[in-house]
Order: sequence, then C-alpha cells, then structure tokens
Amino acid sequence: MARLVSQLIDTLIVLFGVSTLVFLLLVMIPGDPVDVVLGESAQAADREAMRAALGLDRPLAERWLHFYADLAHGDLGDSLVRLQPVTELIRQRLPATLQLAAAAFGLVLLIALPLGIIAARHRGRWPDSLAQSFALVGVSIPNFWLGPLLVLLFSVYLGWTPVSGNLEPGSLVLPAVTLGLSMAAITTRMMRSSLLEIESQPFLRTARCKGLGESAVMLRHSLPNALLPVITVLGLQLGGLLAGAVITEVVFSWPGIGSLLVDAIRQRDYPVVQGVVLFIALSYVLVNRLSDMLAAWLDPRIRERA
Amino acid sequence: MVRLAAICLCLLLVACKPPDTDTLIFAVANAPGVLDPRLAGDAASERTNALLYDRLVMLDEQGKPQPQMATWRMLGPDHYRLSLLPSRAPFWDGRLPDTRDVAATYRSLLDPTLGSPHGGALAKVREVVVVNDSDVDFLLSQPDPSFASRLTVGIVPAQAATGRSLGRQPLGSGPFAFVEWRDDGGVLLRRRTDGQRVALVPVADPTMRTLKLLRGEAHLLQNDLPGELYGYLADARGLAVQEGPGTTFAYIGFNLEDSVVASRDVRAAIAHAIDRDAIIRYLFGGRAQKAESVLRPQHWAGVGGLVAYPYDPQRARDLLRRAGYDEKHPLTLSYKTSTDPFRLRIAHVLQSQLAAVGIDLKVRSYEWGTFFGDIKAGRFQMYSLAWVGVNTPDILRYAFHSASAPPGGANRGRYRSAEVDALIERAERAEPAQAAQLYAAVQHRIHEDLVYVPLWYESNIAATRGLEGYVPGHDGNYRALAHTRMTHVQRQ
Repeated sequence: MARLVSQLIDTLIVLFGVSTLVFLLLVMIPGDPVDVVLGESAQAADREAMRAALGLDRPLAERWLHFYADLAHGDLGDSLVRLQPVTELIRQRLPATLQLAAAAFGLVLLIALPLGIIAARHRGRWPDSLAQSFALVGVSIPNFWLGPLLVLLFSVYLGWTPVSGNLEPGSLVLPAVTLGLSMAAITTRMMRSSLLEIESQPFLRTARCKGLGESAVMLRHSLPNALLPVITVLGLQLGGLLAGAVITEVVFSWPGIGSLLVDAIRQRDYPVVQGVVLFIALSYVLVNRLSDMLAAWLDPRIRERA
Repeated sequence: MVRLAAICLCLLLVACKPPDTDTLIFAVANAPGVLDPRLAGDAASERTNALLYDRLVMLDEQGKPQPQMATWRMLGPDHYRLSLLPSRAPFWDGRLPDTRDVAATYRSLLDPTLGSPHGGALAKVREVVVVNDSDVDFLLSQPDPSFASRLTVGIVPAQAATGRSLGRQPLGSGPFAFVEWRDDGGVLLRRRTDGQRVALVPVADPTMRTLKLLRGEAHLLQNDLPGELYGYLADARGLAVQEGPGTTFAYIGFNLEDSVVASRDVRAAIAHAIDRDAIIRYLFGGRAQKAESVLRPQHWAGVGGLVAYPYDPQRARDLLRRAGYDEKHPLTLSYKTSTDPFRLRIAHVLQSQLAAVGIDLKVRSYEWGTFFGDIKAGRFQMYSLAWVGVNTPDILRYAFHSASAPPGGANRGRYRSAEVDALIERAERAEPAQAAQLYAAVQHRIHEDLVYVPLWYESNIAATRGLEGYVPGHDGNYRALAHTRMTHVQRQ
C-alpha cells in the first residue's frame, strides 16, 4: 500500500513537471493565438477583445494558476480552430489510436518473442542470422518510407488492402504492420540478447543437471528471467503507441491522437497541443508504472528492493 | 500465442466495414475544421462552407460581385440596400432565409465576442437594419463604393447566429447539406438536387493521396501535389487531369528596413537573375503562369502591360557592381522558407540561379509557425510566400499600405510610399471605373519599386477518376461539385 502511494506521488510529480513545462513552452514558442482565431486582418480593438476573452492579457502566474484550476476539473480548454473541447477531441481520436496500438503491439508480441527465442536457441546458425537480419532491416527502415512501400505492393499492385484511412475492410493491416515491424525488430534483439545473457547463469545449469529437457528449461527458467528487460522495453513501446504513432498515423491518414497533435501544431492550436501532450505524458507514466508492477510481480527481487 | 493471434485477427476484423461505392470521395490535404462561415478562417473550411451556405453576393472570376441570394442598390455613399431574391434556396430545415437571418448573421460578425476572422473586412459597417421581409439596409461609417464585394460570408439561421455551436452541426441554404462528421476526420455532405453523397476525406500525405486516386479509393483530388505527381497522374489510365488558371500568387519578399536589400539595384539584380521560365517548365511541369502583380490582369482591378524583369544574368551582374558588390566583395543574403519539400526545392533552384551572378544565398528552412512568426516580426532579409485566394483589391492596402505593417496588416517588408498610400486611399473612395485606374497606378508603382519580385500564378489542378463535369474553381473553390456526376467507378 505504502509503495502504491509512493508511486502515485511520483506520478503526480512527473505530471506536474510535464504540464508546467508544456504550459511554459507554449507561452514561449513563436506565434499568437489571436492570429489563429482572427487572422492577420483583425482590427486592434477586436484583437484586444479576443486577447481578453482567451485570458492572454492576464499575468503569466495568474494564467498558470487558472490552467491548473481548469486541469483539476478535467477541463483542458477549447480548440481555437475546431471550437470543440479538447477532452472531446481526445475522446474522439482515442479509439483509433487504441485500435492501432493494440494491433501493432499484438504483432510485436507475435513476431518478436518467438523470433528472439529461436535466435537464441540457434545462436550462430542460420535461424539466428535470419532473425538478426530481420531485426537489422526492421530497425533501419523508417516508417515514412516503409508505409508507402507496403501500400505500393499490397494496395496498388496486389489490391489486397486499402491505401489509407480507417473505414474500409483491412485498413488496419498496413498501419499495424508498418508500426509493428520496427518495434518487433528492437524487441527481437532484446529478447535474444537477454536469453543469451542468462544462459551462463548457475540456476540454468542446475536445471539441466536435474535432467530437465531444453523446452522445460526454456519455458520454466530461462524465459521468465529473460523477460524482465523485455517487459521494460515493451512498456516503453506501448507508451509510445498509446501516445499516437505520429508518423504512421499521418502517412496512413489514421485519425488518432498522433495526427491530432500534428494538425494542432501546424495550425498553432495551442490548447489542443497542450492537452494532447499532457495526455501523452500521462499515458507514458501510467504504462511505465504498469510495466514496473508487472516486473515486480515476475521477479520477487524487485519487490524486495522496493 | 494462439489466443494472442486470435485477438489480433479480431482487432483487424473490427476495422472492417463494407466499402461505400456510391459516395464521391474527395481526398483533401486538410479537413475542414469549422463549418460555420462566420468563424472559418482556413481555406479548407471556407471552400466547404461555400457548398453548405449561400451568400448574399459571390465574386466572379474578375472579382466582380454577383448576386447569389440578393441584389443591391446604393442609396447613398454610406447606405446600401440588399434585396433578397425570391428564387433563393431554403435552409435545409425547409425554411426560407429571410432578412432576420441576414441581419443576425452580419450583426454577429461585428460582435467582437464571436471572434470572427471576417470582422476586419466589415469594419466600416455601422448598423444593419431590417427594412421589411425582403430588404436589409447596411449603414456604413464612411463611404465604400466596393462594399457589395464584402458581403460574401454565408448566411446562417438567426436562431443559430448567437453562439459558436453551428460549426459542428451546420445548417445553411447551399447546394449541399451536412450529413455527418466521419470517423476518419472527414465530413460527409449530401447534394440538394439528387442526393449524391460527397465525402471530403483528409489525406495529409501527397503520395498517399495520389495512390488513393490510382486505386480508386478516391475520385477527386485538387492542388497541393508536387509537379511531378501531376505528370504521373496525367499519364495514368482511367484518370483525367483538369487544369485551370489560378489566383495563388507566389513572390519573393524583402525586408526594406535591411540595409542590403533596401537597395533597389540589389532587388533588381535578383529579379534579373531568376529564370522563371525554367522553374515553371521544370519544377511545375508548365502548370503555372508568370506573374507581375498580386492581382491577375483579368481582375477588374488588375493591370495588364506591366513589363517583366527579364532573365538577364549580365544585367544582374552590372546592377550588383553598381551597388558595390563584385567577386572581391560578394553579396551574401539570407532567404527564409518553410520546410515544405517543394518550396525547399524551389529555394535551392533560386540559390543556384543567384550563385551564377555572384549572390551567395543562404537558404534557411523553418517549421511553418516559426517561419511565419519570423516573417511577421520582420526577422528576415528575403523570403518567399504566396497569396492564396486573392479576390479583392483590398489586398493592396493589406500588403503595401504603410499602416499595414504587422500587426496592423501584412506589409511584412515594411514598405513605405506616401504615393502608394494616397493612391490606395483615393481608390477606396472612388467608383469602380476610376478605382480600377487608381489600383493600376498602385500596381505600377509597386512593380517599379520591386517591393516583391513577382514569380508566378500557380494553376489550379484537379485529378479525377470516374467523374464528369468537375473543373477546379479559379480560386480553388469546390463549387463544381454541385453538378459533378459519378460515372462507372471500378476499383483496381
């Protein structure tokens, strides 16, 4: 219980730091919210009226306090461009991001864990080389290039999947593959190296001396121990996925959190940028806390240290 | 692992819905954000609003006002009477727009609490008075012979004019009705005449837009593509590429408070060093026309006969020498542009052409907000931008009058000319025929002073698949959708 409270306090401190940083950054970056709303041709009186309506004529400290007061009520403000509450915009975009994140994450687990295990078990032989090559290619190809390549092959030439969007049959496949492939590559390498690292541990020798078969050694002893660093990496990756895979969402016109953030930055829609960045920070923190808890559940040593 | 695979498969299937083959899909670079004509400021929203809301007046290709919902009479220099046409279309709830709707729309535009980007253009309106069921009077604070051309904001129902909620649930009297916001961030519309559904679907990446059209997932795309993609589409089977003259005016601007580019000889040298024909031929694939002024010569306030600064590298070198620059004292200039890959490519061609006459151009590329912020703040020597959707001669005051230096306008180069100021002010008070002459004089002076190096008008280009009757509007508008027909469409 005490550990949970301590983690909650840690989380709140991180969120406070992030939100203050976001608030200050948006105050400092070039551009004027009044221009976003009224355009450049507005009369001086109208500009002043709008400045007052947006609360921009108040001292910075007062605006900062107002920001936190609104935040405490779950109010992230209204979009300057779309004229909707930011929370509503995030709520509208979240399902698409969750859908893509779940599909990509599932793909990572499906590809990376078996491939990493195969590579480690056949170290130095052709399955290992194949898995290593996959990892190298997966990490090296950027999403903005891989996406259009996959579209050319599977959508334009073979006609199996739609080019982009999220409304047609099979539209999730290519964005999920684009996103999942690079993450799977990283996780494969991590899985392999983690398994090889514990290969020399005495408890594995003991298990083998007791007459356990290789599969049993792998499943009951090697894998649970090797998974700890992999879970940390997966936690970070899931955090990134929930934050919206910005490039993939833009390339595939996927209407998620990432494309909302890009649009908001381009349009200088300050409340939306602020709200989305806060949401991303919250996602990261929560997912990382969850992965910490999972690691503690898997490894009693971590629990004891905590 | 098997369970995991099953979950993944389910997730992929969740995304599946049967394709809608009867809807005309228009792939756009940016989705319309606000479907309230009083609040929309971005081009995508304004073009979509023109489909949803009829206006009192619309501007034709020469920029002249034409009646859409109403005719007008000038009862005095500061008094206009608008009379609603009996043939006007009803709102989509079946009610005919009346004078209360007109008055409520324009009164709300003048209300600073609404925060309309169109309020500035209507600053001279003192009062809007409902005379009877068909007439509305606009009383001005000072004479404005061109006032009718400012009445181009869509009319909204009076009951919706008080708040800002109309933008999410639009209700107008235009040729299209709003149906719904789509899950992909687009908007679905329905045509009044035959119920044809049209979806404006955002596809930010130009390559993806092209591929969607090639595969038959989209039927129409317009502008915002690199030149080579138009060439590619023009050669593709089953596609048609339509090209029309555009009003988007590209130019190079100068900071006239900078001691180097304040020299007219330096600016003239730059103008003579740029080979516009080559850029139009090779980068635009011929899909642009050389420009000399922000208003097209065909515009009622435009000017023909402006003599171009010809491509003449030797003359450019002579001018530079006269300004005190030669091989021993080369001229180095900073040129700011956005991160748009096509604009960057143009910047590097300009860099190469200017290097040939001895100018070392340092290209500085910035993210749009930073770039535009620097331009407005005067933190630049040279930059390139384009004026989009220029329809009225108000642009001359906005971009060149001394009082229009930011934040009061868009005279970003801080150009000051008492002669130009006086000509603009006289033109604004003059009848159209005389105003045209005065605006011509303004443009001659600006061209002579080389406030901008004028570059080109970018053509409006539409690529279609399985459509009949679509032509891009002169200012990039989508009005042709009102009579575009879908023919047989087959997916590849």
